[in-house]
Amino acid sequence: MSTRLLRRLLLGGLLFAAVISTRFAVAGAASLEAMIADGFTPSATPALLAPIGETGRTGWACAPERAAAASQARAAELPAANDTP
Amino acid sequence: MMRAAVVGLVVGLAAMPFGFVSAQTYPSARPVPRTTDAPALRALAQRREIHERFTIGVDAEAHKRWSAAIPEFERIIALQPPEPLGSTARYDLAIAYANLHRYDQADAALRAALVLDPGFLAAMANLIAVDLQRGDLRGARGVADRFVQLAPDSARALYSRGLVALSSGDAVTARDDFGKLLHDDPSYAVAHYDLGLAEEKLANFDTAVSEFDAALRLAPSYARARLALGAVFLHQGKRVEARAAFAQVVANSNGDPSLRTLALALRDSIDAHR
Repeated sequence: MSTRLLRRLLLGGLLFAAVISTRFAVAGAASLEAMIADGFTPSATPALLAPIGETGRTGWACAPERAAAASQARAAELPAANDTP
Repeated sequence: MMRAAVVGLVVGLAAMPFGFVSAQTYPSARPVPRTTDAPALRALAQRREIHERFTIGVDAEAHKRWSAAIPEFERIIALQPPEPLGSTARYDLAIAYANLHRYDQADAALRAALVLDPGFLAAMANLIAVDLQRGDLRGARGVADRFVQLAPDSARALYSRGLVALSSGDAVTARDDFGKLLHDDPSYAVAHYDLGLAEEKLANFDTAVSEFDAALRLAPSYARARLALGAVFLHQGKRVEARAAFAQVVANSNGDPSLRTLALALRDSIDAHR
């Protein structure tokens, strides 16, 4: 085998290794970015407010309407930190 | 003498139920409708049917018998009751549909309720939740804008619109809404977390860190907030702090295996790039 052929083979091999390792690095970085993005998931959708009876919306005693208008999270029946781990 | 004693005993026994025994109580009688007019009788029968079906339907929903509740509310709607009964029946029907994951029908019922009563806040709240389940961010945003306009102090309105805004990439609106919610209720850890997410999206990493910290001060076992804190540290190049945060989530993921797996992968990726 000539030295020239050996050099070419060596160069080709190195080039191939470089391409493969770059691909892996890019894929690794992309998957890391995807994992980080998964870490920024918004909190849970609030649960549905309860059913209302026939006379439920007569007067001011309608619990779901009051929850919908409440300014405090607990009164509004919003998810607690424990509900969304 | 003997005769008088017997008469006295009989009278006394007869009086006992009224004097000493508590009688069963009945609601006061409603006046009997005195009419022979056919349309009036029909209206009375219809009112009675609506009353009965509401009672049965709401009871079915209270016991999570969603399929049983549906025909009751559908029939009420078919009877075209006056407001607020019409919108209430549609609202209740939507709850049954949503719990059966029939979100398109739930959406339609809630939108019909809002046509009848445009100020029905509970229907708006549930419609946003249903639209988020359907993945209809545009529909949810339209209702959320109206909800915030009608009830600007409502925690649910601000939280719901903030969530929709975060999911659709409108970090500015999300930041404003969660900020307003926290102005009224600063002890709500979840809103600090979501505000942290909005700040992160706006590349305000230091503010995001302080919001996640605030969430964790209020709820120390809030694993999702700790994971997000670690992710921001990673963005800032603070690998040691990030690794510590991920390791803490691995140790206490609050019972969420997917969160633990994610924290584990992030921690290991830091270790692999040392």
